[in-house]
Amino acid sequence: MDPMTFSIIRHRLFRIVDEAVITLKHVSGSAITNEGHDLMVSLYRADGTLLMGGVGFLHHLTSAAEACKAIIRRFAGDIHEGDVFLLNDPYTAALHTSDIYLVAPIHFDGRLVAWAACFVHVTDIGAVNPGGFAPQAPDIFSEGFSSPGIKLMDRGTMRRDVLDTILNMVRSPEMVTLDLRSMIACCNVARDRMQALIAKYGPAKVDDACARLVEQSEALLRARLRELPDGSWQSRQYLDVMGRTARVVLTMTKTADRLVFDFTGSDPQSPHSINCTKWAALGGLFAPLFPLLCYDITWNEGVIRPIEMIAPEGSIVNCTRPAPVSVATVGAIQSVNNAACTTIGKMLAASDKYREEATAVWHANHFAIFKFGRNQRGGYSIGILTETFAGAGGARSFADGVEIGGEVPNPISRMANVEQVEGTFPIRYLFRRRARDSGGPGMFRGGTGGEMAIVPHKAPDGGIDYVISGKGARHPMSEGLAGGWPGAPNSYIWVHAPEDGGDAPVSGAEGIDSLPGRRERVSWGVFPLRGRDALYVRWNGGGGYGDPLARDPELVRADVVAGLVGTASARRIYGVEITDGAVDAAATQALRTTIRQSRLAREAAE
Amino acid sequence: MSSTGNLAGRISPGVGVGSGGRAVCTACGHDLGPAAGPWKDHAGVREVPLAQAGGEAYDTGDDAVVLRQFHCPGCAVLLDTETAMRGDPALVDRPAAR
Ligand SMILES: [Zn+2]
Repeated sequence: MDPMTFSIIRHRLFRIVDEAVITLKHVSGSAITNEGHDLMVSLYRADGTLLMGGVGFLHHLTSAAEACKAIIRRFAGDIHEGDVFLLNDPYTAALHTSDIYLVAPIHFDGRLVAWAACFVHVTDIGAVNPGGFAPQAPDIFSEGFSSPGIKLMDRGTMRRDVLDTILNMVRSPEMVTLDLRSMIACCNVARDRMQALIAKYGPAKVDDACARLVEQSEALLRARLRELPDGSWQSRQYLDVMGRTARVVLTMTKTADRLVFDFTGSDPQSPHSINCTKWAALGGLFAPLFPLLCYDITWNEGVIRPIEMIAPEGSIVNCTRPAPVSVATVGAIQSVNNAACTTIGKMLAASDKYREEATAVWHANHFAIFKFGRNQRGGYSIGILTETFAGAGGARSFADGVEIGGEVPNPISRMANVEQVEGTFPIRYLFRRRARDSGGPGMFRGGTGGEMAIVPHKAPDGGIDYVISGKGARHPMSEGLAGGWPGAPNSYIWVHAPEDGGDAPVSGAEGIDSLPGRRERVSWGVFPLRGRDALYVRWNGGGGYGDPLARDPELVRADVVAGLVGTASARRIYGVEITDGAVDAAATQALRTTIRQSRLAREAAE
Repeated sequence: MSSTGNLAGRISPGVGVGSGGRAVCTACGHDLGPAAGPWKDHAGVREVPLAQAGGEAYDTGDDAVVLRQFHCPGCAVLLDTETAMRGDPALVDRPAAR
């Protein structure tokens, strides 16, 4: 095949995915899809293997491949042009029940030639708690509708009985209908464009290009791995829920052109819904691997071949049915994301050639807070606080992390406007801004996370309720790299208004200190937001890179002026003395010498 | 940086593998034991409750959550950090066995 044709076909495949994502967003009406970009679209080969991974949450790329394969096995002989299958069982392939896969075969001249697959986090799935994350679920049976594979559209016609059965089991059927229809539209566009591509170049040539594309990705990744140092690197993540702590432990070993991710030593599966299945763990390690090692390589089956995963059965990263998993995507899966980001970052940082590709962990701890209740128009609303997608960048070997800079597993994540949320829910924001001292200190600082507070506003029921799956608030999860510190951890505080009456606070100029009342940490379960109470949320910053004492004092001063680093932290962590808004060079040098001497003195004493 | 000129490889930016399969500080050349390690056994370590190390933003109300800082005993440069539950083993990074 001539290289020009190969390149054109490769690019067309990428654009097909791109256009399908746009379609998904145009049809969808939900904030989590449109604003948070909690979505994914990819193309698969006729056998279900990954052909062209798209953007969105990258831990879905391999899991959706398994979904395609599960549909191929279950419906052998009954797969027709125009069919669309639904699969959301975590023990078959999905990550959790609310991330529904729609899987559509693509035919040409009556022959199955490829698959399109996509997901969105549907507004509700009928779990014990509204919104899909179910901190109160003791098992998978309490986590809502779950299918290992069902035909939703038959040769282009909606199966009304199937659709109505699903809608009969969810809290917000009109929104879930829209979620499903947005995915059907997405599959339709992917199928049409793929068929047009094949019509133009012929099925043999397109198939040949696809096979070569997979081979190319495998060859490129293996070549890159051979350039990286051999060795093994460890990382560890803690998830605390209701006083119980679970560990995800990872040893990544790189030998020649192979990479093994071994989760031996991770804790047994939890009674809480933070567990993940093995397909989810596999997806979880690929989410950082695609962008960090394959930033210039097509994300497909070829990238998967050099990688091996060891995940002990019955552990938190390979739980057994009927363990609950509804919080997996922000629980064990995200910890796998973080752990893999750390070990890959360590390996890249140990390479003179690839050090600039290394990164400390980005936004490592989603806070899945789903608001629900009667809205200001008398209707019923369910929706996530999309600030969880705002994130924070990890520091690199040459630059600070990006403030509120997103996350590695989803390159297109973002948050909704305050006005969008206030228009949908009877709440008001007191403030939303960058959080001081949240970025992990280092020679290069991790990007800051954010902080916000909300109060009820014109709520017909006096307020709303929310489901919070805030595991891990006791531990910083955005690990630093090469001596950099972790980003500060998440914090969720219920501010109980004073009993003496008075109005709800209208401003938050001083952050949480603007809010009078008793403070209570909350993290797991269902809580009210009523009356004059407030909910304060702070999310983690990114990890830092290198020794904070090596940071340019002028950068520390600029951070203090911008309100991103406090003067106490500037002095204690960075050893920088600021007087009248300027760096006191002599005092800074003396302070840094003192801190270094105290490190060595402690060593001598021990 | 003459001490980094003849490294056989690296475990991290701050810890190299020097001649004879020894781990060394890449800033000052200080010996950190056999590269097969763990090099952290030969580094200085400071382990303090997270809130004490990082201040209010890091205070999660649990003294058992600690920040470990591993530094070079020769030049005091910070080589690595870990957050851990007190008593959990240190993470081990090592080059491939030769
Ligand atoms: Zn040194």
